[in-house]
Amino acid sequence: MKRGLVIGAVLLALLVGVILVAAMLGAERLPLFDLNEQQRSILYDIRVPRILLGACVGASLAVAGAGLQSLLRNPLAEPYLLGVSNGAALGTMVAFVFFQSLELTRPILAFAGAGLATLAVYRMAKSRAGMNVERLVLSGVIVTTFLSSVIVMLTTLLDAAKLRSFTFWLLGDLSQATRNGVYLSLGAVIIGTIVLMSQARALNLMMVGERDAFDFGVEVGRVRMLVFGAASLVVGAAVAASGSVGYVGLIVPHLVRLSVGSDNRLVVPFSAIAGAIFVVFADTIARTAIAPRELPVGAVTALIGAPMFIYLLRKN
Amino acid sequence: MKSKVKGHNSRFIVMLVMLILSGCGGVRNANVADTTGSQPVATSRVVTDDLGRHVTIPLRVTRVVSLAPNLTESIFAVGAGDRLVGVTTFCNYPEQAKSITKIGDTMNPNMESIVALKPDIVFVSTASQIESFTKTLDANGIAVYVTNPMSLDDVVKDLFALSEILGNSENSGVLANFVPELKREINGFRERMKNETKVRVFVQISKEPLFTIGKQSFLNEVIDVAGGESVTNEVESAYPKLSKETALALSPDVIILSESDDNREPNEVFRNSPAVKNGRVYKINADIISRPGPRLFGGLYQIARDLHPKKFPVPF
Amino acid sequence: MLEVRDISVSYDQREVLRDVSLTLRDGEIIALLGANGAGKTTLIRTLNGTLPVSKGEIDIDGRPLAGISRREIARNITVVAQENETRFPVTVLEFVLSGRFVHGSSFGWESETDIEFAKKALTECDLTGYATRLMNHLSGGERQRVVLARAIATNARILLLDEPTANLDIAHQAMMFKLVRKRCIESNYSAIVITHDLNLAAEFADEILMLKDGRIAAKGMPAEVLSAENVKDVFGVKVLLDMNPASGNVRVTNVF
Repeated sequence: MKRGLVIGAVLLALLVGVILVAAMLGAERLPLFDLNEQQRSILYDIRVPRILLGACVGASLAVAGAGLQSLLRNPLAEPYLLGVSNGAALGTMVAFVFFQSLELTRPILAFAGAGLATLAVYRMAKSRAGMNVERLVLSGVIVTTFLSSVIVMLTTLLDAAKLRSFTFWLLGDLSQATRNGVYLSLGAVIIGTIVLMSQARALNLMMVGERDAFDFGVEVGRVRMLVFGAASLVVGAAVAASGSVGYVGLIVPHLVRLSVGSDNRLVVPFSAIAGAIFVVFADTIARTAIAPRELPVGAVTALIGAPMFIYLLRKN
Repeated sequence: MKSKVKGHNSRFIVMLVMLILSGCGGVRNANVADTTGSQPVATSRVVTDDLGRHVTIPLRVTRVVSLAPNLTESIFAVGAGDRLVGVTTFCNYPEQAKSITKIGDTMNPNMESIVALKPDIVFVSTASQIESFTKTLDANGIAVYVTNPMSLDDVVKDLFALSEILGNSENSGVLANFVPELKREINGFRERMKNETKVRVFVQISKEPLFTIGKQSFLNEVIDVAGGESVTNEVESAYPKLSKETALALSPDVIILSESDDNREPNEVFRNSPAVKNGRVYKINADIISRPGPRLFGGLYQIARDLHPKKFPVPF
Repeated sequence: MLEVRDISVSYDQREVLRDVSLTLRDGEIIALLGANGAGKTTLIRTLNGTLPVSKGEIDIDGRPLAGISRREIARNITVVAQENETRFPVTVLEFVLSGRFVHGSSFGWESETDIEFAKKALTECDLTGYATRLMNHLSGGERQRVVLARAIATNARILLLDEPTANLDIAHQAMMFKLVRKRCIESNYSAIVITHDLNLAAEFADEILMLKDGRIAAKGMPAEVLSAENVKDVFGVKVLLDMNPASGNVRVTNVF
């Protein structure tokens, strides 16, 4: 327990540190003190909201990954692989195409898309013997690739102008951060994390097996609904704001488990913090590497995440 | 925001009319090489395209396919529109182009459709990024002529080349005079604007994500000749996604919006810029500034009027 | 006390159990025997509320099982079954402590009591010093003992054990049965044990239930039930019966 608190404190300190450093870096060089009006605008209207959105998106995806991995007893479960991200992306696209000006429709339809995708995967994977892990991964891959194709088809049918906006966004793009977007994302991730933490003890049992969990008093159906619901909520909000940022939900919970073990009471909140750190870091690279041009943050998380994942696989 | 103004009375349009008129007649054999050896009458000839490739075509070209909207416009401009048998789905100007058989879009033209049309020559533009299809067309024994217009002079050159390949010998004299005339006009324009202070211009291609023009865009020269300076002419790539921080710091005097659904107004980062504060935001037809073709000259005139309204007070 | 009256259980439109009745009194151990597929696991799963009955009633201390919440059932009835493979790094202590979920709240950490019960269970299952070891580094038999410890740590009065000695060596098989019996005697707990080992059943069970094709083929004290005819009928094998010289209980020997 003590060790957990220490690590938690370290992670929080690291998050604050990364945010501060990120605020000092960007396409435009800003002085540390005495900023003029334009520089203040750059910092507070553009840079800071984007950094905060990155933190929320990172926390959301990591916490969803942690919850889904425990619920489905599968270390490979993550929002992208299970089709949750693509479901949210498709929902967002539909909102954009049909309800263009109503910005609130985007996160709502993203949440709906994420939820439906999750349900589809779950239904496909369920067999009489219970949740077979291999079936789950297979169902997830089927749903996510199917949704990917639908997304590609939609982008092909859209006219060139809308197409351009989406192609970049689909790879994960934090550049459209607004104050409202940050509030929404922050709200979603706080609610989602609290819900997941409330189920953390149950998830500890479910990680071993649904049957075991049931035997020891867990209302398996209720836990499943709450975890799927929370994951869809946070992933929906994240994807609506910034597109599909991959690898965060996969890598971060793993790294957290390597440091503190599998107890979800620690893994869930720590994944949130670590996920925030990861994406803020990746986005700082995305914003500065080829400045004044930008890279999609999803490309950076993939470039960092994929080799890291291979390394983790090797280690086991 | 000023509404778009057609440069009806631009001297360029007058010249283009002349060009169209002169495009009726016989065949002009520029760069002729007698490929049939001892035959008294040549049945084919070899022309050299913008990439230095030697292309063999019949003496009289009657069936033409265009794989780029700017080339379709140019072909109509030189009076050979009636010989077009295939165009892309993006070729929407002039009106007659819309009824020509479509062979796909610029990214993925349908090879079978092209071959089935039995064209004498297929015109390709590097501006539409499909040089990769040159190989496939070559392999099918179809003559491919690649154009690579990167400047106003290049557009003139391409118009001339088209008129040579597709035009008539009767009016060749007129054509011969036309090109230097057009060049003189451009230089005259340059001279006229030389002593004006260059206006700092930001060209916004899409609002969110924020796309603009960069170093490799042919518009830089157009803006320069029109008496302006593209504030992003040092940024790598033709259509970079720009950091909002940089955009804010650039403080352009004028913003030109490429007219499309996702680009109805300047990005919020410009709200305190001189351009927005002084109401100097202008729209221009997206096709005109994205196609290095005959309408570019009209675009040049329109931009010059927008940048220096005092110099071009009223269309005479 | 667990009372089962004429229950029938079906799934997949197939009747898996038919007209089964039994009474599990406090302090008692019942051994559940039968061939594979006879319905033993189904019976256990029905008794802890996982499977619904299509006919009949189950009462625990006079209250119908159907009306009790998941968590309350788990507080009173615990199951020891075959252990699942854990793909995550879990320590032995974490695994055993997770069973204390039945007593705690959804939020929050384990109390001192929880930890005490867990540690005691580890000792009783011969797992002292195993607390920080990872589950997937243990052998099958060691993991099985951890599963037993988790059940013991819950302090539930009724233990349902589904082939708990499957992976255990001879020493630990005996240890397991002794442990169960000790609890039943000392704390008035009760247990139903599914086992394939007829001799262990003879040694430790107060009552034996033989299932054949979902029905009770024989029920009663070991000496009565373990007859050559019953064994032939239920298992289809020929056996020799005599008396275990050490304990005086029935001894079953396979005749090949």
